[in-house]
Amino acid sequence: MEAGFRGLTVLAGLVVLAILGLIAWSTTSQAWDAFASQGLGFFTSSDWNPNQGRFGALAFIYGTVVISVIALVFAVPVSLGIALFVSEAAPPRVQTAIGYVIDLLAAIPSVVYGLWGVLVLAPVIGKSFFTAGVILGVMITPIVTSISREVLRTVPRAQREAALALGATRWETIRAAVLPWAKGGLVGAVMLGLGRAMGETIAAALVIGSSPQITLAIFGSGDSAAAVIVNQFGEAAGTHRSALIGLGVVLFLLTIGVNGAARAVVHRSEQAAGAV
Amino acid sequence: MRSPNRRLAVAVAVAAATSLSFTACAKKDDSSSTGGGAAGSVPAGKTVDYAKLEATLNGSGSSFQKGFNDTAVAEMKKVAPKLVVNYAGGGSSKGKKDLQDGIVDFAGTDSLVKDEDKAKFKGEFLYFPTVSAPITVSFNVKGVDKLNLSASTVAKIFQGDIKKWNDAAIKADNPDATLPDADIKAVHRADGSGTTSNFTKYLKAAAGSDWKLDAGDTVNWPADSQAGNGNGGVAQAVKSTDGAIGYVDLSDAKASGLKFAAIKNKAGKFVEPTVDGAKAAVDGASVKDDLTYSPLDAAGEKAYPITSPTWIIVYAKQTDKAKGEAVKGLLNYLLTEGQALAPTVDYAALPEGLQKKAVAQLDKIQVG
Amino acid sequence: MSRPSAAMTAEPGIAILASQLTATRRGKDLAASLWMWGALLVAIVPLGAIVLYLIQLGAGVISLEFVTSSIPISPREKGPGMGPAVAGTLLLTGLASALAIPLGVLAAVYLNEYGKRGRLATVVRFLADVMTGVPSIVMGLFIYSVWVLHFGLSGFAGALALACLMLPIVIRSTEEMLRLVPDELRQASLALGNTTWRTVVTVVLPAALPGIVSGAMLAVARAAGETAPVLFCVGIVSDVNWNAFSGSNTTLSAQIFANAQSPFVGAQDRAWGAAFTLVVLVFLLTVGARFVSARFTRKRGGL
Repeated sequence: MEAGFRGLTVLAGLVVLAILGLIAWSTTSQAWDAFASQGLGFFTSSDWNPNQGRFGALAFIYGTVVISVIALVFAVPVSLGIALFVSEAAPPRVQTAIGYVIDLLAAIPSVVYGLWGVLVLAPVIGKSFFTAGVILGVMITPIVTSISREVLRTVPRAQREAALALGATRWETIRAAVLPWAKGGLVGAVMLGLGRAMGETIAAALVIGSSPQITLAIFGSGDSAAAVIVNQFGEAAGTHRSALIGLGVVLFLLTIGVNGAARAVVHRSEQAAGAV
Repeated sequence: MRSPNRRLAVAVAVAAATSLSFTACAKKDDSSSTGGGAAGSVPAGKTVDYAKLEATLNGSGSSFQKGFNDTAVAEMKKVAPKLVVNYAGGGSSKGKKDLQDGIVDFAGTDSLVKDEDKAKFKGEFLYFPTVSAPITVSFNVKGVDKLNLSASTVAKIFQGDIKKWNDAAIKADNPDATLPDADIKAVHRADGSGTTSNFTKYLKAAAGSDWKLDAGDTVNWPADSQAGNGNGGVAQAVKSTDGAIGYVDLSDAKASGLKFAAIKNKAGKFVEPTVDGAKAAVDGASVKDDLTYSPLDAAGEKAYPITSPTWIIVYAKQTDKAKGEAVKGLLNYLLTEGQALAPTVDYAALPEGLQKKAVAQLDKIQVG
Repeated sequence: MSRPSAAMTAEPGIAILASQLTATRRGKDLAASLWMWGALLVAIVPLGAIVLYLIQLGAGVISLEFVTSSIPISPREKGPGMGPAVAGTLLLTGLASALAIPLGVLAAVYLNEYGKRGRLATVVRFLADVMTGVPSIVMGLFIYSVWVLHFGLSGFAGALALACLMLPIVIRSTEEMLRLVPDELRQASLALGNTTWRTVVTVVLPAALPGIVSGAMLAVARAAGETAPVLFCVGIVSDVNWNAFSGSNTTLSAQIFANAQSPFVGAQDRAWGAAFTLVVLVFLLTVGARFVSARFTRKRGGL
């Protein structure tokens, strides 16, 4: 019985490995047709033309990067500001209230952000890289804030008190005592937000405008990897479908890369914190 | 002066090839055509006991015909309560692919299956024409209510050659309009679409060398133009974007309150997209044995030049008995009661000759 | 640790030496306050707008009839109906939970009770963390490749994808909760002659149950709102389909996505109504999770 139960739990643990392995294998094998027929052009060309069987995905990958960067530019200062406010400046009751609200906002499904984006925001500012980036930024703000708050909570009280006792202002306390301590965890929080933004499909698909162009004009319409998969998957067959799954593989690698790095950073900073 | 004669010649040829009653029917169509949105008469079909149909039919494809299908299916539900019809839209390309894969029971399409794709289907399939309708060129420009456009101007706009609303080419077609110095935001379809196919075929035929993007369910649009999902998605994008222009079926364009341009037809007249304009275009088209036809860039003064046909395609061999009967029943309904409903949602009913052929083709569906 | 302390010793020195710097210091402090308050404001404007729109446009549409009656066949029609989408959402998330929660709890038991700091457990733990970051669209493509291509679209295929998204969340939250169970409880049980598995099943899991429930509810909340996998694996219909193993289905999220792209007022109203319904559902799960875990920690404090 003991051995059986133990075996069962080990199997359950191995399911995680199996799923990740299967994701990598099944999507890559489905995408192989596109990778093989397009070669490096899949990553270096922006000529995406299903009729002629040409699938250069550069414009979509570019769009994914651009909207993720815009999302971070919006979300990072805002999230860190709120997290610092909650942990350093707000009275305890406000802290709890804001924490509660942030958790609720973090739970709102992305399609709801997309709905608001396409019906309320887009009619005013148009569909563009910028619109998609802002929607994603708004979307990841609660998540990044929530994790940052957790990280700031690990900063020992004594650290702050020491600074304040030396006559430091609140900002100096944050600069000198809080941020250096929490740096690793905060970087991790931002990277987790980045991972979320890169993989987000629905909100981006609704407001980006579906124009596969590589341009610095962020107020012009664009496209992203996840958005083009959703828009074209229904009708795609053969190499076209393979190429869309190939974009999924790219997203998979990008996001697990970012997430893996983020987890490692958070883990290291947690360990460092634990060691003190 | 030449085109009416040609139209007559075509009509005579078609009449000779099809049925003797055709000319009479054409006349009847002309007389009823003044009543734009009113329901037409119900043409004859097979006798089907709709109440006995019991199945769930899944269909996907053309969003162009979705407005018609939705209306007819909702109405049919009243007489066939045990029949469930899900028409998911998704674009003609998706419909054709889903039928190939056998994951739907019928597909809607406004474009024909390419020869090289025919082998991918699981057997012989049949085209059933259901309705036709204008593809509008809808726009959203502050201060502009009416717009005249010629084929080559439309081509240049969607190709990105014309970038401003006050471009000389647009002014030439609209000497009286005050056109703003605003950017044109062209909106096309994001999904593979029969509407795109017919729109680009029209431009290829009517704009000649001014149109460089060829024709198909998807074409290589300029990278900076926007896209929407389905006719509804394009309509929404045009509606919510100042300076936008897009091609949308009349039914969706009207229901979403869009303004649309009058297009210069072969006879040199600017014609508003209307059900009558579509009828006039279809009347002149020659129908092939498989019931395919093209009413694009039709001759005739009244013909709206970007008129699109649309079909439902089904397999000739229906292996599931209940589903097979249901497919036949659905098609019969669309070809009879549905024809009367068509004008109420801005689609043109089939001309009598074509309707009769389509009803006759129902016999080719083998059930069981 | 060394850097902050060094900075600390430097600061007061500067302050004493040059009193004219006080203005700069005060300015910086003010700027920091402005940043924090500004951040709060910048976040409140769009997030508040979203919530207000949801309430204003969604709550007006919502009614008992809205969540029970069928979806109109034509998107142009006005008036209710999201019943099939509510049913589909409950069906799919229910199935996904039935798959992911037991599996996740078992895996967490392995990590905390057996594997601990071992190499395999460390790898599994790390990969579960990484797996939380796999985008839902990739999960959708994955299930499409291994399931839908062979067995067709179905509610179950969607549930599989949602379960994959829930699994790592359940594992990590459950493990956290198991870690909070004091070792004394385990030792007491083992001292009474219980085997490890009996200890886990009769002592550890019951003690951690509220925490596990709370984590599971958050995972369910995440799954209930997912859209992309539903589009690829489930398809879309407008009628209720209680059979998860055959035929397409529909969910609130998929209906929101479809109706958000519609130009028709009726469809857009239904999108807002569906969004309101979904957000209420997700909020209930989130608040419920907080409530359960708050009771848990209070009880834990009393132990």
